[in-house]
Amino acid sequence: MDNDTSERLRRLRGAVPAKRHNARTVAALTGNPGCARRAVLDAAGVDKEQLARHVGFPAKFGQSQFAITRGNAFEAQVKANAFAELIRLLRETLELELNEVGQTDLEEVGGNTSQEMRHIRSRQKLTGAAADGESTFFDHPLLTLDVGGNTVYLEPDLVAFHHNGKFHVVEIKSFAVIDDQADGGKVAAAATQSAVYVLALRRLLGDDDAVSDEVVLVCPKDFSNQPVATKVDVRKQLIVLQHQLSRLSRIEKLVGELPPALTFDLAAGDDGKPTRSAAALTAALAEVEARYAPDCLAKCEMAFFCRKEASGCTATLGINVREELGGVETVAEALGLADGSLIASDSQAEAAAMLRTTAEIYGSVTA
Amino acid sequence: MTSPAEALERRIDELRAAVRKAVTAGERDRARELRKELRRLEDAWDEALDELADQTERPVKPVPRQAGPLLPLREQVHQALTLLGAPAAPRLIIAVHEAFHVGEIIPARLTSLRRDEERSFRTAPHSRPYYLCPALTADLLAPARGLLAVSTWPMANRVIGPLSPRVDFLISAIRLAGHLDRIPDPSTDARRLLWRFAANIPGAAPSAAAMTPAAVADAAEAELDIHRDSDRSHREAAAKRAREQLDDIEQLFGSRLRGVASTGS
Amino acid sequence: MAGEANAPLAAMIGSDVAHPTLLFVPQPRNRDMRFEFAASLAEVVLDYVRSRTQRSEVLGNDVVFLEAPQLLVPNRAGAAFVRLLGRSTRFRRTTGLYPVPQRVPTLGRWLTYLAERSEHPGSAAMLAMTEALSMHWASGQSALEDANLAAILGWIDPPDGVTGPEAAIAAEDPLVWPPAGPSTDPSFDNEVLAPAIRAYADSAPDSPRRMHALQTLERELRGQMEPTWRLMWRAVDVLRALPPGDTVEQRWTADRKDFSRYHNYLVMDGRPQARRDGAVVAARRLQTLEREQTLYDATRALDDPLVMANFRVTGEAFEGTVVSVERDRRVTGEKGRRITRPLIVVSTGDPMHLAVGAAVRSPARLGQEATIVEIRRLADSTLVTLELAGGMGRRAAPAPGTVPEEKDDITYTSAFPDAFRTPDLPPTELTPWTHGGPPQPYVPTEDDAREVWE
Ligand code: SF4
Repeated sequence: MDNDTSERLRRLRGAVPAKRHNARTVAALTGNPGCARRAVLDAAGVDKEQLARHVGFPAKFGQSQFAITRGNAFEAQVKANAFAELIRLLRETLELELNEVGQTDLEEVGGNTSQEMRHIRSRQKLTGAAADGESTFFDHPLLTLDVGGNTVYLEPDLVAFHHNGKFHVVEIKSFAVIDDQADGGKVAAAATQSAVYVLALRRLLGDDDAVSDEVVLVCPKDFSNQPVATKVDVRKQLIVLQHQLSRLSRIEKLVGELPPALTFDLAAGDDGKPTRSAAALTAALAEVEARYAPDCLAKCEMAFFCRKEASGCTATLGINVREELGGVETVAEALGLADGSLIASDSQAEAAAMLRTTAEIYGSVTA
Repeated sequence: MTSPAEALERRIDELRAAVRKAVTAGERDRARELRKELRRLEDAWDEALDELADQTERPVKPVPRQAGPLLPLREQVHQALTLLGAPAAPRLIIAVHEAFHVGEIIPARLTSLRRDEERSFRTAPHSRPYYLCPALTADLLAPARGLLAVSTWPMANRVIGPLSPRVDFLISAIRLAGHLDRIPDPSTDARRLLWRFAANIPGAAPSAAAMTPAAVADAAEAELDIHRDSDRSHREAAAKRAREQLDDIEQLFGSRLRGVASTGS
Repeated sequence: MAGEANAPLAAMIGSDVAHPTLLFVPQPRNRDMRFEFAASLAEVVLDYVRSRTQRSEVLGNDVVFLEAPQLLVPNRAGAAFVRLLGRSTRFRRTTGLYPVPQRVPTLGRWLTYLAERSEHPGSAAMLAMTEALSMHWASGQSALEDANLAAILGWIDPPDGVTGPEAAIAAEDPLVWPPAGPSTDPSFDNEVLAPAIRAYADSAPDSPRRMHALQTLERELRGQMEPTWRLMWRAVDVLRALPPGDTVEQRWTADRKDFSRYHNYLVMDGRPQARRDGAVVAARRLQTLEREQTLYDATRALDDPLVMANFRVTGEAFEGTVVSVERDRRVTGEKGRRITRPLIVVSTGDPMHLAVGAAVRSPARLGQEATIVEIRRLADSTLVTLELAGGMGRRAAPAPGTVPEEKDDITYTSAFPDAFRTPDLPPTELTPWTHGGPPQPYVPTEDDAREVWE
């Protein structure tokens, strides 16, 4: 990224530190790849959550402490007694040899838990893994990934090193696999998150082939606490993720088209509240085009704002509606085309014909 | 219920709703303040309830299973570690204690125990027959996260190389199995504890019901044979370094990385 | 409860808006309490199921109950939860480790039955209310948002003085409209539920503190569920205000028959449903579901002109005017006999997407087969020539009124009740060995019964 662009991004963010990403937020980058607003906000490291709140549309992403407790307890359990349960599972799933039981704790370095230290040590241990052959299990390594010019620290639950020279990302999740089936949405989210780790690990090792594109997902089985391990192919997620990350680093063009003075500065005044008014920030947001879809509600902090902005648009009704009505932006337009009061442009011809027949047929029935 | 208590309760309900509202709106500071106020009222309410109960009957406070431990905490931990014969995590120590002894170990007290031991050693070195100390990592000779050991063990047993967690797991399984074999009818808790080991050792037992301590020990021994030599040489080398490089205190409580990356934390 | 596979926290259930039963678990991680919950739920559900078996009629060779159970849940996730609750209770045993009362596994079988039955198109055995509403109303929001019961009902039936969209937005505030389950709102979990559970757990049995903790839990949980309870009944009212379709009775009879069959099975055999279907059972089930789907789509289109309108928009049906009739046309059939095959031409303005050779039917004359033999597209209409067969009486010449006449308005659709024909699978007992032989009924294993439910 050139200096100009970095400078522009800094200005967009204003006098506050860049928002730290984590695996979940990096995974969320793949949510709505077509949205310029999000790409710009993310590349600039703007705190979207705070921004959304300040303009009056706070996001609703709460997590229940029951879920958090359960997640931590399950991870502690499968890792207890020198990874006893994990060793058994991975011997089956990854065909580990009996002598592959070495473990390296990377959650702290001699009592020091600073991210820099942990990352340096993780790098040392992971790059040396093949040579020294000491360890198979790397507990909580700290990886990094460049997200639009900012370094993001990422911490997978576990990385396993197989004697054939391949690393596997192991993700421990507390949602249940019941009769060999699990909640599709949760599996997909876990796969995307794991893909972030795979990518980070590949970059760290500088060798794509060294990291398997199959990750191991460890979940409780049925209604018990007994863990089961399943391999999940994350190739698709990797492609999407890489595409989106390279898009962020090629942000020049998007940023270049924005007004030079534009900023989303959330710097706080003496009262702890951002000094810039909600109206100013709302106006700033309007300068960057969004691409709202109902999916955003589950994925992006700006969703309630963007939904409000998009009200009256066909996009708010869902992706299929938007596609079926290709070229017809608003509900008002759709109605106009349906009753013939609007004239369709060339790109709307197909949708307009469909709208007209629908109106005629339904009209004849309800009349 | 008296009306002040009712009023208090109504106020508590209102505050709860207000906290949720603040949380939902992402106003963290406000939520924190409201929560503080909420806790204060809840305490007041608790007192009111106690008073009320005093007039009717005494509230029964939850009591620990056993009125008081028969042994001081450090000795209970020492017992468990001696039985296991290798460094162990607090959870395992508690599980061992509960399987063979009465009384409860409160996890939080284990944390302070470790600090107390170090303090005691610093003020009057070597004045106790043993100290409970952290195991040390083989490479940095720093305290290993969450593993307790006994100071009288040979250094090589107190350092932890990459293979050591598994090796110690197998050693503990063997010793636990031996202990179960020796004592007359072991408790369900004790058998369940051994099963937690057996379930994860190849060929140790087909099921919890069909498990025999002897077979568990044999299976653990068989896997141990694979790891023993490389683990030993690794640990011996680290132990040698520890004896050469560390002072008395550090040999027990580990060396801390100081000043290296203090900027980051 | 959040984070736990199917750990029930609370339920509000009943068949009378004024008298719901509230069941709750003060400590959801406690296994015994979970089974107690299941046992109490079983009482309510089994009583209700029993009440549906009081009267019966004879249909063909079968005795069929006049009523069948119907379970209404707020949303799809709620239906999935019912299925899981059925799964986690149907294998439990009354003896051995963790014994439970017989009604617990029986509840499991019924919940599983209802969940499976609800997959059959047209069945009303278990309905997710949001979906039942979406079938009859289109809101101005996306399908994702329609999954919120309070929101979709806000569009359909907003409170006085509020517009639909406003009501829907208000419905998104969990403080005003608690989620309709199965998950509770995270801020409720963190700020209300967790302290209440802690207060319960930290108090001595039978102490005033514990009594109070129980009261608090009950009050808070009731507060979370009552709004949804009221919404459910309002939704029922809204749906009941619609005129029932002509074929509803027919579909409900199918539900009643199946209910009677399963009731009978439970009395005679009673083994729980398998964890997974075998290949043969699965293939059969799939075929049945496909057939039922076609039937359902077709009958719904016959019931409801708006559903038919949709088929017309997509080109699978068309409406038009008969412009010419060749009433007495006869052709030589396969067996060399002369047979009556009238031709009619229908002119339609609909965007007809059917091809020559397509079999269609007119809802008004379902007994008469019609095949498209020619399509001529004109500037603003389409001329469709159809050959008719059957439904014209026994004589050589068609009986009066059995063939459409010129200027008649008529609809033809490719979706009609017996449009789905596949080779019948052999009866299950005759499954060839290449397909694994006749499937063995599922025999639950020791493991099934002992499965820990932690
Ligand atoms: S919510 Fe807005 S900013 Fe976020 S992805 Fe959707 S459209 Fe883009």
